[in-house]
Amino acid sequence: MEYLLVRFPRSRRVVIDGEFNGRTNELIELEAGTYTVSLGPPPNFTPESRRVVLRNTSALEPKEVTFDET
Amino acid sequence: MRPKRVALPLFLIFLILQSCAHYPVNAPLQSYEPRGGYRFDNLTPGEGNTDAIMLCLAFSGGGTRAAAFAYGVLAELRDTLITAEGAPRRLLNEVDCISSVSGGSFTAAYFGLFRDRIFQDFETRFLRRNIQGELAGQVLSPANWFRLISPYFSRIDLAAELYDATVFEGRRYKDLAGGARPFIILNATNTALGSRFEFAQDQFDFLGSDLGEYPLARAAAASSAFPILLNPISLKNQPSPPGFSVPPAVQNALEDAGTNPRRYLWARNLVTYQDKANHPYLHLLDGGLADNIGLRAVADAYTRGFIRRRINDGAIKTFVAIVVNAKTDPPDSIDQHEAPPRIPAVIMKTMTVSMENYSFETVEFMRGLAGDRAQAQRDVAVCQRTLDARCPGGERLTAFPTELRLHVIELNFEQFSDPEERRFFLSLPTTFSLTGHQVDCLIAAGRRLLRTSQEYRDLLGELGGQLQPAAETATEFPSGGCKASN
Repeated sequence: MEYLLVRFPRSRRVVIDGEFNGRTNELIELEAGTYTVSLGPPPNFTPESRRVVLRNTSALEPKEVTFDET
Repeated sequence: MRPKRVALPLFLIFLILQSCAHYPVNAPLQSYEPRGGYRFDNLTPGEGNTDAIMLCLAFSGGGTRAAAFAYGVLAELRDTLITAEGAPRRLLNEVDCISSVSGGSFTAAYFGLFRDRIFQDFETRFLRRNIQGELAGQVLSPANWFRLISPYFSRIDLAAELYDATVFEGRRYKDLAGGARPFIILNATNTALGSRFEFAQDQFDFLGSDLGEYPLARAAAASSAFPILLNPISLKNQPSPPGFSVPPAVQNALEDAGTNPRRYLWARNLVTYQDKANHPYLHLLDGGLADNIGLRAVADAYTRGFIRRRINDGAIKTFVAIVVNAKTDPPDSIDQHEAPPRIPAVIMKTMTVSMENYSFETVEFMRGLAGDRAQAQRDVAVCQRTLDARCPGGERLTAFPTELRLHVIELNFEQFSDPEERRFFLSLPTTFSLTGHQVDCLIAAGRRLLRTSQEYRDLLGELGGQLQPAAETATEFPSGGCKASN
């Protein structure tokens, strides 16, 4: 399995491929592959979404994605 | 007009109509509702079910042998009490999903429909019947001869009718126990793609079809349509309903041929159904051809489905998969003769060997997934402790939302320590007709193997579980014992 960390100043639900799947600032475990990552409402973040490919990560070195609060 | 002159034309018309028999076509989906239909997310937890425990069962194939073995496990779960959210609960109520193939699908579907009623009448309605003989009677009945002439109606449709009338009472997917868990996943195999096909709305969306209207009996028939003996169950690949689009996860997975071939194949198989012109129909055979223990659906839900989302949301504290594997190892004389085996024996051996090897790999794959998570949690915890010791007040590592406890428990007949008992169970035939004594032995075997499993006892230790002493007698074998030498 692979590991994703979505950084955001607040705790917020993470949306992966259109489905709620984990929270910001916590480890998210997913199988290897391509994903579209976004955040749950309210829409006060940028960018709107990010596309990531998870491969060769570990729990100690997850793939990091950052969203900024607007 | 004389009666004879009327009777003959009427009889001929009857025969012609009979020979136009057609299997019931799966209903088209009127509108696409990604939050509707038979999906795990649309089911309520049900009475006595806590979200913190995700318990999934996998029932293997193996005819009545598998159905009875799985039934024994359900009975043992019913008689096991745990403490959850401060209250005693039956572990059976914690079952969230059951994935099954072939014979195991009858137990799974019956429990999904009728819940505790299974303990009152499933033995008489299925386990102790000569289903095979009844099916042969249907095939030989003159009333069905002309129906079987039709290219659109075959023995498997007769089997589905028999199951519908005598086991499942005409129930459809929309009737599954008031929309509560467990989520029942009956698995078949798509003969064209060679891939697992699950009876769930997520899959039926791609067929443009409404699973809610589909009879459980036909799904169970597809799941148990052993090749050569029975024909496939056919489905129509209906036009996509307005508003349907391929889900983003499937679209992204189509780019993963190099990164994750397993995820890519999952997506590719699904989008194949969108090619309506080249795949207007599906023909489904025994689920055992793609996965003979029913665990693949659980593994897929764990890696990318409803289980994964709940784990990442931190809702699940304990994940349990119990694999009820009725695999046998009957005596084989192939290697006792110099002459090579004949074609029928080779065909049968080819099918069963590949099914069993794949089953072994699937259990190991699931154990590997559980081990990966446990190891990742340990890595984070050990590093954090080291950091805390050397840099007090320093950095906090990013952690998982919860410390997940995982258990993968497999039950199979090899686990009997008594060689004669082991040989008895490993030699049982794959058929829909067993003796009452054999059924008694299998039910007791399911209960006993679960009750004595060390992994199961470890789980009960975590959950504050109690085995009911009164149920101990139910794990005893019937008089005469269950030994090959008897």
